[in-house]
Order: sequence, then structure tokens, then C-alpha cells
Amino acid sequence: MTTGPVRPTLEETPSFLKAEHISVRYGETVALNDVTLHIPTNRVTVLIGPSGCGKSTTLRCINALVKTSSGHIDYGDASIQAMSETDLRRNMGYAIQSVGLMPHMTVEENVDLVPRLLGWKRAERTERVSRLLKLVRLDPQVYRNKYPHELSGGEAQRVGVARALGADPPVLLMDEPFGAVDPLTREQLQDEFIRIQRQLKKTVVFVTHDIDEAVRLADYLIIMKDGMIVQADTPEQILAAPANEFVERFLGPDRSLKRLSLFTADHCCLERVVSGTGKPSETQLPKGSNRCYWQVDADGKPIMGYTWIHNRIIERPITSSTHTVQPYSSMKECMSAILGLGMPATAVVDDDGRLYGEVRFETIQTISLS
Amino acid sequence: METERTVQELVLPMGANVGQFESRLNFHRKLAAIVLLVFAVSFFLPFFFARENRISAEIPGRISALALLPTLLLLLPPTMILLYALMRNSRRSEWLLSFAGALGLLAPLAVLAYVGPQVVSTLGPFARYSPGSGMYLYVTAVAIVYLMKARIRIGDYIGLAVALAVVLALGYQGSFDRLGILLEARNFGTRLSREITAHIRITGISIGISVLVGIPLALVTFQSRRMRKLVFPLLNVLQTIPGIALFGLLIAPLAALSQAFPQLREWGIKGIGNTPAIIALSMYAIYPIIRYSFTAISSIDASVVLAAQGMGMSSGQVWRIVRLPLATPGILHGVRVALVQTIGNATLAKLIGGDGLGVLVFEGLGQASVDMVLLGMLLIIALTVAADRIFQILITVLTPVSLRREGV
Repeated sequence: MTTGPVRPTLEETPSFLKAEHISVRYGETVALNDVTLHIPTNRVTVLIGPSGCGKSTTLRCINALVKTSSGHIDYGDASIQAMSETDLRRNMGYAIQSVGLMPHMTVEENVDLVPRLLGWKRAERTERVSRLLKLVRLDPQVYRNKYPHELSGGEAQRVGVARALGADPPVLLMDEPFGAVDPLTREQLQDEFIRIQRQLKKTVVFVTHDIDEAVRLADYLIIMKDGMIVQADTPEQILAAPANEFVERFLGPDRSLKRLSLFTADHCCLERVVSGTGKPSETQLPKGSNRCYWQVDADGKPIMGYTWIHNRIIERPITSSTHTVQPYSSMKECMSAILGLGMPATAVVDDDGRLYGEVRFETIQTISLS
Repeated sequence: METERTVQELVLPMGANVGQFESRLNFHRKLAAIVLLVFAVSFFLPFFFARENRISAEIPGRISALALLPTLLLLLPPTMILLYALMRNSRRSEWLLSFAGALGLLAPLAVLAYVGPQVVSTLGPFARYSPGSGMYLYVTAVAIVYLMKARIRIGDYIGLAVALAVVLALGYQGSFDRLGILLEARNFGTRLSREITAHIRITGISIGISVLVGIPLALVTFQSRRMRKLVFPLLNVLQTIPGIALFGLLIAPLAALSQAFPQLREWGIKGIGNTPAIIALSMYAIYPIIRYSFTAISSIDASVVLAAQGMGMSSGQVWRIVRLPLATPGILHGVRVALVQTIGNATLAKLIGGDGLGVLVFEGLGQASVDMVLLGMLLIIALTVAADRIFQILITVLTPVSLRREGV
């Protein structure tokens, strides 16, 4: 087990958030045992492990909700122990599984909390709330004045994320933020999170117990057990070379499939696709070709896929949203769409549903081999 | 809305959907049978009493001795209930209940207004009359009739208003001039309003003190585990001391205190009188206030507080922005319970020389004047109900809009 200093094997990412040999003890129980980790800047670091492994404790040490018994955490040039707790926390967005929205405040007042604590001007704050709600895909007109009890679980989580981003903090701490929603909503929220993170490039520390979620979101994955770090590396490396049997078991038997979650459709999306509003002509889809032709409607949305299989041209109607993928969908979802559609490729559509490109099965194969 | 829950919903086991209509029907018949039984018993008890003067022996008057017309009037509501019980569709014949209810309140008072003066006129100048146990039971039966209703509709309020108007008209006309309670009230004159004011003042000061001490103490108790171990056992012990004993216990130390510092005596601090009463009442009222406040604060969702801290609120801000607004309804409920309890307890102030409506109750007891005791009791009940209502409105107004749905 590695308990010494662990450095990200990502390309040289300077770290301004470093925990050095931190331990947390409650009387006899040791919650954290000499943990050292350097959080890569502008990346997503995911802490994962079984219950009681100390992942949440590590997170709470970072914003001083839990006091370390020994060791120190540096934030920039200063040790966080030397900083005022409130200043420190206002610099770090915090989102938790149970969301913890203030039940007596509207969505706007909730999102506005940290900017208000920091004493921002009113006009600036109103503007900020609108921007944040749009960012998490909630219509400000509709949601601004709603109360938490009027929101669904997924909507509440979005508001929770918007609130964590309230004052544009450089660091975002997320403690199983998508743990309490149904699997479908969770997947949507993960998609949104990836989109938002690409846009904002925050330094994120994310705690989860869901290995699929971890593999999907992490730039840097830290596997913990019994208050210690077992393995810390990029998810690619960990999936390729688990440090020990515990990690191997933790990753599960479908490691290869999980690796597919690491790549998103736009990694290997071919933008040059053959498409048209009518049926394919001989030149568009030559006899015996293993290529695909996409028929689109007037809005440019794919409605039918054509390809040759066993010397026969086959057509597959695109009737469900699971038949297509979006640029930020994982390769695992692409795989599923390809199988669902029964074609050698699946169509990639943009946010408005218009044809954008395609992902081919053979491309996925080359990824699995790499 | 939730408030429109019917009696059968409360009594029937949950999920009694199969044959619900049948059981509802049966349930209504059973209730109607109970009401009819209560009505029947009331007819055999003395309907009213007459006395030659305020402390002479009671002369009971029974319904059986009444003339035909008043008897028929009193028989009308039970007859309607009987009809209602025989109807197949209980929901559609609910108007019978409304009618029986309004008439059931009007009839006994009208009969009293009609028969009372007649009887009293034969008994001399100091004679008086008062309602008897039969009439109280009769009114009880009417109260059950209102409970039988699925909901109180606007028609019911109109019916009650009409009944009230008729009774007031009878009173204005002088039919109740010889009613015992009103005679007592008239004897008291301005002293009556003085005692009412004193009762409100003693209650108000006691509640004020216990709010000012209790709420901060609840906050401190919440913060410190050591305080919790100290405060709650102490309060529990305090709560078990009987009221009169606590009043008595305070006499000696306060008397000694005012002996030692004559200045205090000028401020009204003595062994007997209103001061020990107010101290004792505050000590009782503090229990519900601390209990409710503590529960209200500690039942706030922990994740909300964690999120607040995680966002960088200082401890003061967590209290001001999160805990207190969320706990306000609960705290106010504690104050309401304390208030209702204190209005009742303040009656005991008289026992150690204090003022208030206890004066009527205990002087009435001393003089064996039932009417006087009754007058004091009715006023205390009226005060309690009024204070409770006003406080409920206050709680609704002060509860944040988003929390009101929880049926506070």
C-alpha cells in the first residue's frame, strides 16, 4: 500500500492545494492515517472507497469542517490552519449529497448565499444568479422564486451545484453530490457536470462510492481504504494496472468496459458523415460499403440510418434518444447506442438534436486496444 | 385541505377502503345512536335550578314539568338526528345535522329564557336561576352533532350566528336578568374588569419573563452538552412540584428578602401578593418554552446546517440566517402552550393574596356561591380560548411562507 507522497502522473500540473501527512483521530479510532495528496489544479480529483474509508473526512479536512490531528494542508502559500475558517470556506464551493438547501429561502436566495456573505452588490448578484441557473440548465424565469420543496431531486441537486459555484470559487468540494438521485437523473447530472467543468475548469475534489461515476468524471483518481490511500493515479492507469487485489476487486470484472467511460464521443467523433434528406444514392452509399448514411429531416435531425449488411441494404429508424449520442456522452454510451441501433456506427447530435457526426464501432475497438 | 379530516377518517383504521361506504354508514348510525342516548339522559336530569337567594338550596326544574311548547322545541333536534340516522345517504342529508346543531344550541337557551323568569317570579326579589346538568348534557350532545359533520360549512356558521342573535335579543329584552352568573357579574361591577385586567397582566408578565429567560437558555442548552445535563433534570423536578406548593414555598424567602431590603417592598416585592405568583408562574412556563425551543432547534435538518457552515457562515450567521428562522414556528408553539397553561395556573395567585380571576373562583367557593365560581371559570376559559386563537394567527403570520404547508 502506498502511503507516501503521491504525485499526479498527469502532465505537470502545479498544485496549490496540498495535504501533507494529515491524520484524524477521534479518541481511539483513526479516521485518517497519514494521508498525503496533492490536488491537481483545474482538474477533477475523485476520492473513492468503501464506507468509512475516510474519503469524506479528507474532503472535510480541506474546508476545515474536520480538524486534522496532525499534518497540515496548504492552500496556496498559506496553511489552512492559519486562515480564518469562514474566509477559507467562502473560497471553496461545497455541495453535499443531501443538498442542504435552505428550506425557507427561494432558489435565488440559496444560490445567492455566498455572494451575499461576501458583500457583493445587488445588481451584480442578480446577474450572477441568472448566469448560474442557466449554467445548470434551469430557466431563471421559472426557478428563481421557487422554494426547495417545489423542486425534484435532480433540480435540487442542480441548485446545489449552482450554489456551490455561487461566488466563482477556485475550488469546488463535492461530497457525493449525485448520490441521492435516481440512476437516470444521475447520468444526466454527470453529463452536465462534465460540460460545466470543461467550461469553468475548476479545481474539483469529488467524493463518491460509485466506481462508474468516478471513472467517468476523474482526471485523477484516488482509491482509499481504512483511512489510507491505496492507489492514486489517472483512471486510465488504474484501470490498466490496479495496484493490488483490493483495487482490482473494487474496479469490478468489467474493467475494460469501464475504460470506455473514460472517453467521450467527441474524442473520436468523425465529423465528415454522409447524410441527406432523402434515401441514399449509389454514390452516397456504395454497394457492399460498411459505411453509414444518415437521413435527416428538415431541421437536420437524423431520422433513419442506412448501411450494407450481408449484401443487403438495411435501414434502421432512429426513434429513441438512446439511438444517438451527444458529444459529451461516454464511449460506453456510444457502444450501447450502436448495439441498440444495430448499425456499425451511431449518430452524434448536438444540443438541438441536429446531426453533428458519427462514432464507429471500429474506432471504439482501437481505443480498447490502446 | 388537511384540516377537513372527518371524524370517521380519524377513527377508522388506515386503508379501510373496502366497504368504506358501508362502514361510514354504520359509523354514522353508531354516532347518531350515542347522540340520541346523551339527549335522552339529559331529559331526565334537572334542566335548570332556581334559588330563593344566592346561597339557598337549589330547586331543580325538569323538562317533564315544562309546558308543551318548550318540550316540543327541545325534542326537535333529537328528532332530526333520528331522521338523519334513518336516511340511506348520510352525506346528502347532512343539512339535517346543520339544522339540528343550530337549533340544538338555540332551543335550551330559549327555553331557559322563557321558563326561568316565570319560576323565579314566584320566589321573591332575590331569586335567581341557572342552567342545570340536563342542559349541559344537552349542549354536549349538540357538540357531538357538529363532530359528526364531514366539514363545517358556511351554512353552519350562519345557523350559529342566527342562534346567537336570537339569544342576544332575548338577553337584551331582559329574559336573562335573573340568570345567576349575570347577577354575580353585576354585583362585582367595576371590580370584575379590574380582576380580568389583573389576570391578563399577571399572565403577560410571567410569560414575558419566561420568554426572555427561556429562549436564550434553550439556545445555550443546545450549544453545550454540560448545560443540557443540568437544565433538563432541573426543569423536570420543577415541573413535578405541585402548583400550590411552589406558591407557598416562595412566601418565606421573599418575605425575608423584603424584610431585609425595605426598598423592595415599595416595588411590590413581598412574601404574598402578585410577585411570588409571577415568579412561580414564570418558573412553570419556562418548561414548555425551553422544551419546544430546544426541539425546534435540534430538529433542523443537519445537512442544512452543514451546508451553511461549509459555505463559510460564521457561527453567528448560522444562527441568524438558518437556525432561528427555521426554529421560529416551533419556539412560538412553545410560547403558546406556556401561555394557555399560565392563564389557567394564574387562578392560583389568589391563594397567596394575588389578584386575577382566581379571586372570583376562590371567593365563590368560600361563599358557597356556585354561580360566582362558574362566572370566574367561564371567564378564564374565554381568556384561554381567545389567547390561543390570537397566538395561532400570530404563528401563521410569522412562519416563513415555504414552511406553512407542514400544517403548523
